[in-house]
Amino acid sequence: MATRGQGVLEKMTKETDIETATLKVFRYRPEVQLEPYFQEYKVPYRRDMVILDALNYIKDHVDGTLSYRWSCRMGICGSCGANVDGEPKLTCASFLHEFKDKEIKVEPLANFPVIKDLVVNIEDFMEKLDAVKPWIIRKEETPPEKGEYRQTPEELEAYKQFSMCINCMLCYAACPIYGMNEEFLGPAATALAYRYIADTRDQDHEARFPIVHDKEGVWECTLVGECSVACPKGVDPMLAIQKTKILGATQLLKPPRRRK
Amino acid sequence: MTSEGSTGKYPEYRKRLGPGWWLSNPRYTTYMIRELTSFFVSIYAIIYIYQLSLLAMGNFSSYDIFVRNPATIVFSIIALFFTLYHAFTWFYLIGRIQPIKLGRNKSTTPLQALAINLVLLLVISYAVVYLFILR
Repeated sequence: MATRGQGVLEKMTKETDIETATLKVFRYRPEVQLEPYFQEYKVPYRRDMVILDALNYIKDHVDGTLSYRWSCRMGICGSCGANVDGEPKLTCASFLHEFKDKEIKVEPLANFPVIKDLVVNIEDFMEKLDAVKPWIIRKEETPPEKGEYRQTPEELEAYKQFSMCINCMLCYAACPIYGMNEEFLGPAATALAYRYIADTRDQDHEARFPIVHDKEGVWECTLVGECSVACPKGVDPMLAIQKTKILGATQLLKPPRRRK
Repeated sequence: MTSEGSTGKYPEYRKRLGPGWWLSNPRYTTYMIRELTSFFVSIYAIIYIYQLSLLAMGNFSSYDIFVRNPATIVFSIIALFFTLYHAFTWFYLIGRIQPIKLGRNKSTTPLQALAINLVLLLVISYAVVYLFILR
């Protein structure tokens, strides 16, 4: 078994090999100067290190003035999103070795106003998220002792993927429509609206129709499809938006008294 | 729904999309080509209406000269290419949005849906042509 052991050892040395990456990080420090600029940092890294580790290294050892958001470092909290080499990514899920022999450009999420360095203002998305009522609406709540609201696996399947959204806003950074018109409700908010519209336990789907079927709602979407490419959780917001469009169109065919 | 300006005492920085945004990513570029196809389709529609008006007025010789014009032929070929591109990309997207159910737990992949939709299009087109012209 000597050869196998050697293989593992070789792999381990490879994983602990230290190389150097060059990060070009977007800096915006309005308290010092109003013009943004790029700052270059050299960061030693191992194979298991991600962009977020590099940013933490810079913050701890090179330049304490760098600002960015992060929390869980495992792709769940959705706070560490940034445009890495022009594409929106979770910095905790982008390995440095994937950009080998290359300068890595790290910018704040596109289409959002920048407060400082990589920190963007997410107020707009938060308002939209709240507007689509992302919770189960019941005509009458039953007490917990009466049991849960049941549904079949097929009914769960209808919305399950959309419930995986972590509100990281990468889809907004990927959407040129949102970039051109920030009134657009956008991918994640619609995906979450659809997640509850498609949930059989929800009893007032139509409460969300005025928001999603608004002029600036789903009808703004012209099927670029980049939101679904950018999503780090395998959600397909483009699908949710088109399904909501179909709902809007069929809603018009219903007798008026059923419409709201 | 947007909060303009700043949250604190310093202004926020805002980078707007430049006119060349659609060249920054190949997927944006294919999207823009799909959008651009509608330009050729609309120009072709205008030409088509003009041709019909010539025929309706009984102006057959002008019609003949117009359709035999090399410029008309070249433009028609270009328009056909863009129309086909548009149709294929749309049918493909429809397959992604509304997969066709095959039994209880199976549904089509986008390519299968594209094929089924194209076959349906041909069948329905033939049915319409048969009902109104060939019959």
